[in-house]
Amino acid sequence: MKAQSKLYFYLTLSTILLVIIAVWSLNTGVYDFSGASPYKILWQVIKGDEGLSLSDKYVVWDVRAARIIMAILIGSMLAVSGTGLQGLFKNPLATGDLIGLTSGATLLAAIAIVLGGYFKQYLPEVVQFSLVGISAFIGAFLSMMLVYRISSSGGKTNVVMMLLTGVAITAIGFSITGFLIYISKDEQLRDLTFWNLGSLAAATWTKNIVLVTVLIISYVILIPKGKALNAMMLGEKDAQHLGINVEKLKKQIIIIVALMVGTSVAFSGTIGFVGLIVPYILRLLFKSNYAFILPLSAVCGSILLLTADTFSRSIVQPSELPIGILTALMGGPIFIAILIKFKKSL
Amino acid sequence: MKKIILVASVLLAVYSCKKEGAKQENGTETVSSETPKSNNKIVTLNGGITEIVSALGHEKEIVGTDVTSTYPETLKATAKDLGHVRSMTIEPIMAVNPTLILASDKDINPELLGKIKSSGIKAEVFKQEYSVEGTKKLIEQVAKAIGNTDYQKLNDKIDADLKQVQPIAKKPKVLFIYARGNMLMVSGTKTPMDALINLAGGQNAVSEFEDFKPLTPEAVVKANPDVLFFFSSGLQGAGGNEGALKMPGVSQTNAGKNKKIIAMDGGLVSGFGPRLGEAAVGLNKLLIESTK
Repeated sequence: MKAQSKLYFYLTLSTILLVIIAVWSLNTGVYDFSGASPYKILWQVIKGDEGLSLSDKYVVWDVRAARIIMAILIGSMLAVSGTGLQGLFKNPLATGDLIGLTSGATLLAAIAIVLGGYFKQYLPEVVQFSLVGISAFIGAFLSMMLVYRISSSGGKTNVVMMLLTGVAITAIGFSITGFLIYISKDEQLRDLTFWNLGSLAAATWTKNIVLVTVLIISYVILIPKGKALNAMMLGEKDAQHLGINVEKLKKQIIIIVALMVGTSVAFSGTIGFVGLIVPYILRLLFKSNYAFILPLSAVCGSILLLTADTFSRSIVQPSELPIGILTALMGGPIFIAILIKFKKSL
Repeated sequence: MKKIILVASVLLAVYSCKKEGAKQENGTETVSSETPKSNNKIVTLNGGITEIVSALGHEKEIVGTDVTSTYPETLKATAKDLGHVRSMTIEPIMAVNPTLILASDKDINPELLGKIKSSGIKAEVFKQEYSVEGTKKLIEQVAKAIGNTDYQKLNDKIDADLKQVQPIAKKPKVLFIYARGNMLMVSGTKTPMDALINLAGGQNAVSEFEDFKPLTPEAVVKANPDVLFFFSSGLQGAGGNEGALKMPGVSQTNAGKNKKIIAMDGGLVSGFGPRLGEAAVGLNKLLIESTK
């Protein structure tokens, strides 16, 4: 029970930190509310104040607040998907971007955008988003199956195979996506920067609703699996003996991670390394206790991405830095640190 | 599993209600307020449109522009440069408190467009055609958008300028090279340069493709242009005439052998605004010189 209260303590602490960062983020930006504070405006929006200027309301609610919520949701899902994958592969290097899930998702999302362009205008907005989202999920899922088939045998993962499969999928995805962008004059395809470095600039409440739905479905299933993942660390046979349905657990992780990665990629492009940085830092604090790092990575991922995004939109005003640059800047050194630490065992 | 379906369906239900509500709100927003002329605060997101608004005498009302709006130069001091339309976001635009946003359909990124539309600020996105007729139509539409009916003089000036273009007996083949850093792109058809070259009595050395494509040495040799055409800034960046002659394939072409390289201001060439006639005359003069 003591462990439980310790977990709640840390969860509360990190949630408070996240709220503080969100408050700071809401106040960050080039728009001037002519003397009023954005908090007051946000309060007026929530109250449904009639006398509010449309522009003020729009910037606070549809630009900043929507973007903050999107950063929180996507950061959380990316971190949790990284943690889940690392539990599945029993390896700290397994993350969506390194093993090619994001590339697979990007590729199918891009294909959906190109092909969907032909009948898109007849579809309601929700279906449009879901079309790209579902395709991205399928892309992530297929990549995941491929990586798992190639790199795992008899419950053991060959890390080198896992990473190389990721490299191969990324290379294929990159080339085909690049080709699509080259031949397609479809503005919808955005450009390679979005797909390779990500952006949260297009946040809307519609997208946030979809993201929240995916997040809740995923977390209801995945977050309580901490103890089962701890048992998996002992080896799949021992986990079976402890009464854990290993095959079912694996399937669940594969589908849910693909769902989370796919949805995130469809809405924000490839924001790399979040699934690597957050679990790594949590492991330094709590060892590989998944009962702790799964729920905590959900909050800490939000902290990381919201901080990075707020910097990305305030460093080079009035334009913004692609957020993937910042996350890669943090993640690269950590990637190397993991490699050095596990040099012997890789 | 049942729990999940329940949660999802509740969320979907909540969401659809929300969406209905949003629709009604937006319905009222499309009513544009009649703003008195002098109170307009305009953001122009295209070089040509910026020139039109200024030429109509509303330069003082422009509060923000994009990176391609280089003319009139006095705008630098009075309007905020919001960067490139491809990578622009909504908040810096909102920060200059515009009452009207004017953009071209040619280069704006769709996500920014979506944000502009939902911001409630009056916005007009014009279809831009790179032709004399297209420019006149654009001038007319922009004038109407800013509440000015005195635009005929701009169109007359374009016609008067175009009359000065002298026909060139043997149409020189012109290759426009867009040099940005190490990227060399050549202009195909359906670009402002293509249209201007034709207006100025030349012909585009490239007719096989539309838009811009990366320059390849073989394609340059095959196109065999008589004249190479650059933006002044691009030519400078590529190392001036010396650098241009060293570009792959150029030495094998007529333009390379005879060292015929011309450059004009990028804003003038690609604006397709009130200075279209001037641009055509300027290019016409350069082409006549280079065919002597």
